Amino acid sequence: MAGPPRQLTGRGAAGAALALLPLLFLGVAFFWPLWDVLRLGLQVDGRWTGERLLAALSDPYVRRLILFTVEQAALSALLSLGLGFPLGWFLTRYRFPGRGLLRAFTIVPFVLPSITVALGFVLFFGRSGHLNRLLMGLFGLGEPPIRVLYTLWAVVLAHAFYNAPVVARFVNSAWERADPTLVEAARALGAGRFRAFATVTLPLLLPTVLSALALVFVLCTLSFSIPLALGGARYATVEVGVYLYARGVVASFPRAAALALLTLGLSLALTYLHLWGGGTFSARQGGVRTAPTVPLLSRERPGRALWLLYLIPAAIVFLGPIGAVVADSFLHPAPGGAAPTLHWYRMIASPAWNPFIESSPLAAVRTSLLVGGGATGLALVLGLSVSAVLRRVRSRILETILMAPLAVSSVVVGLALLLAFRRSPLSALGGEWAIVLAHTLIVYPFVVRAIRPLWDALDPALPEAARTLGASPFAAFRTVTLPLLGSGVLAAGAFAFALSLGEMTAVAMLSGPGVMTMPMAIYHFLGSRDFGAASAMATVLMATTALAAWAWDRAGSRWLSRTGAPAGFRRLPDSAEPVERVASGFMPNHTAVRRLRKVVADRLRRYGEPIHSTTDPVPASAADKHRRTHG
Amino acid sequence: MKRFIGLVAALTLTTSAVAAEQFVVYASRSFVRWGPASAIERAFEAAHPGVDLVWVAPAGAAEMLSRLIAELSTGRTDADLFLGVTAGSLPRALAEGVFRPFDPDLIPNLAFVPDDLRVDPSGHVLPFDHGYIAFVASPALAEDLLPRSFADLLRPELRGKIILQDPRTSETGLAFLLWTIAHFGEDWSEFWRALLPNLLTITRGWTEAFAMFEAGEAPLVLSYSTDAAYAYITAGEAKYRVLTLDGEAYRLVEGLGIVRTTRRPDLAHAFIDIVLSPEIQALIPTSQWMFPVHSEVELPPDFARLAVVPEHPVFLGPGEVAELLDDWISRWQALLGS
Repeated sequence: MAGPPRQLTGRGAAGAALALLPLLFLGVAFFWPLWDVLRLGLQVDGRWTGERLLAALSDPYVRRLILFTVEQAALSALLSLGLGFPLGWFLTRYRFPGRGLLRAFTIVPFVLPSITVALGFVLFFGRSGHLNRLLMGLFGLGEPPIRVLYTLWAVVLAHAFYNAPVVARFVNSAWERADPTLVEAARALGAGRFRAFATVTLPLLLPTVLSALALVFVLCTLSFSIPLALGGARYATVEVGVYLYARGVVASFPRAAALALLTLGLSLALTYLHLWGGGTFSARQGGVRTAPTVPLLSRERPGRALWLLYLIPAAIVFLGPIGAVVADSFLHPAPGGAAPTLHWYRMIASPAWNPFIESSPLAAVRTSLLVGGGATGLALVLGLSVSAVLRRVRSRILETILMAPLAVSSVVVGLALLLAFRRSPLSALGGEWAIVLAHTLIVYPFVVRAIRPLWDALDPALPEAARTLGASPFAAFRTVTLPLLGSGVLAAGAFAFALSLGEMTAVAMLSGPGVMTMPMAIYHFLGSRDFGAASAMATVLMATTALAAWAWDRAGSRWLSRTGAPAGFRRLPDSAEPVERVASGFMPNHTAVRRLRKVVADRLRRYGEPIHSTTDPVPASAADKHRRTHG
Repeated sequence: MKRFIGLVAALTLTTSAVAAEQFVVYASRSFVRWGPASAIERAFEAAHPGVDLVWVAPAGAAEMLSRLIAELSTGRTDADLFLGVTAGSLPRALAEGVFRPFDPDLIPNLAFVPDDLRVDPSGHVLPFDHGYIAFVASPALAEDLLPRSFADLLRPELRGKIILQDPRTSETGLAFLLWTIAHFGEDWSEFWRALLPNLLTITRGWTEAFAMFEAGEAPLVLSYSTDAAYAYITAGEAKYRVLTLDGEAYRLVEGLGIVRTTRRPDLAHAFIDIVLSPEIQALIPTSQWMFPVHSEVELPPDFARLAVVPEHPVFLGPGEVAELLDDWISRWQALLGS
């Protein structure tokens, strides 16, 4: 932690007063609603009891949900490793045209809303989907050869689509840091290539691999949209179970609450395990130099072309579903049979009521943007005030309270707000507000995580100078601190916006007539198999999310693309500490975790690491930029 | 900060803009997609200027009913009327007090509905159409594989070739569960266990199941006994085969009821009368592909010729279902894992 711990003196008291704002907000929008869930799950006729939990656990269907959740998460983690490890190796070992592009491409799954991936899987892997039609045409088959959809493997494969790139990045970065001297020594001592790999490289990578596996396992345990959209009735997870009991199937709030408590317990346990394991698994190696890369295609080693056997199927798995969505948005025949067509884009721009998505398509787009904007605004205010409080008052308990929503899965946040919006005071607000609050709770911890390291690195002399010149604390914050944090805040905002746009779990719990967002509308279109409309809206959603992600990246790199600390900062934000925390503390929250943790880690690695590196204080890229700026 | 306040203001505006006079009908997706929903809307809005009829139908009927029950249990729903309740889910709806009793005097067209179709003696739910649930095969299924009995459904050649609906979310799915219970008695779960390998998937509603079937994802689907008529009348070819099992098909009567909390019972009664009017009932056969309940409406000749009426209609009355449905559903859920 940067800076000495401060006592709860005059400044601390001001901090405590400042803490009232976020505490009040979290009290009304989070803790009180969560208390309702607890009461519903653990109280029968006003007395506390475990009856409902035990009844849930003795129901064979609930046990099935739990078993399936664990089963698919384990399989997804293994498949992600299987698909991601070779890619990590490939990226580490070889150089070839487009390597940078491929590396950059591994980030793509992070910015894709999961419902668009589910849609892509249906369009691409369905029995009458693109892949089967292609294979049947090519080989003259009578029966579709790929039968993955409607099975457990559809869920697992979609999870691998998301998480294999995570594993690849983990493996790639660990491998690049592994000291090649050790392998060379083993080879010089007579070990074969395989033996050197098994006895030297693998043990070096093992902590990273285990840590990646654990991360993927947690993310897939708490996954919602993909099992909901791809699992059918037979393959539902606990998260989906909460939704089914609260909204769809047997309409039993107490059972939904009991399941929510189970998933809450599960996510807390996994977070704890990961925190505990995170310390053990954290990367220990730090090589003196990085391993040299070799060209992929060379006359001497034609065998390397065998990589195509991996790369082509991998490209199909990763590009096929996304390509199918974009293609179908134009090629799915319009009602008259015309294709290609812009009919589906006209349809989703329509302000006319559509009973199947219980909204008009245009209103769904507008609601998504407004909810994203509202949640981003609230999350920035909340995130900044929480950061300000945590800077002033260093208290483990306060930090736990103020960051608590991080440990609660989205479906539980959704259930809590669903109940809370049925009674005052929140019932006075419209239905959109439930989604705004849910998204605020889901994204603000990431805003805090993004802003705190920046703020900690800020030179305190500057706001203090403003204070001595007579500015009030708020004026000093507004005129000095905030502009200095400027693009960092902007980046956090753009990221929060992208997250809110793609979020469907809480929306599934909270949507209603006229209260509909793009991902949920896509789910409904998919449910009634209106593929043209679903694809067009998914394409728009992906493009909007990508735009937000791009803005986030630009705003972030503007801040960080300087060689030294920017004006007003004593140093670059401390890299090791946030990376460590990102890696250990972010687990419980779904897609968001993946997206932020990866990008933060990446960026900090790119820009932060040279400070700690002993041999190469200024990396080539930074030196280049320096030359470009000053030369 | 200013921008944020602007956003908040914009959000508040959109929230309050929904407040015009609306009459909200929760219905099954299939009724709004296929049935005479737009004709009903035109007739209703012409008779009640200034009222906007809003259909809400993002899911199958049983799922919509569950959602309505969940909304009512916490005191807030937008729905004024529910359309698509069947005998299977009627007991649950009545037990949860979803509907208020209707007043027969306010529904003149009710006089034309035969007594044997009035499945709810308690006077909360009225029928608007009826028909039979059966299996439907596409031409992709070889002639010798067409199932004629429950035993035929278990043939190993049908592995992964059948699409069913979830009895928890779909009225047709529930009808099939009740059908197997009526046919097998206590042994129904054995039959289901044996049937699972032959299922491609269990969808949440009938709409997606039938769309998958039409797209060629599987050659057998649980659907309506009128689908051969549908294919013949719309496409001009008898491409679909309707299959009764052991001469049986399950009888389905679809009903509608007025939601307990509606503030416009007058509009609700007027709506029901329009649905039961001869003009709308005449549209039922070739749009909803069901039989009308109005005794004086004639069936189109092709429909009358091709709509299959089973030798042995099967039906479990609300009285028989009421007690045991929860138990059946939880046993069915438990089967999914096997």
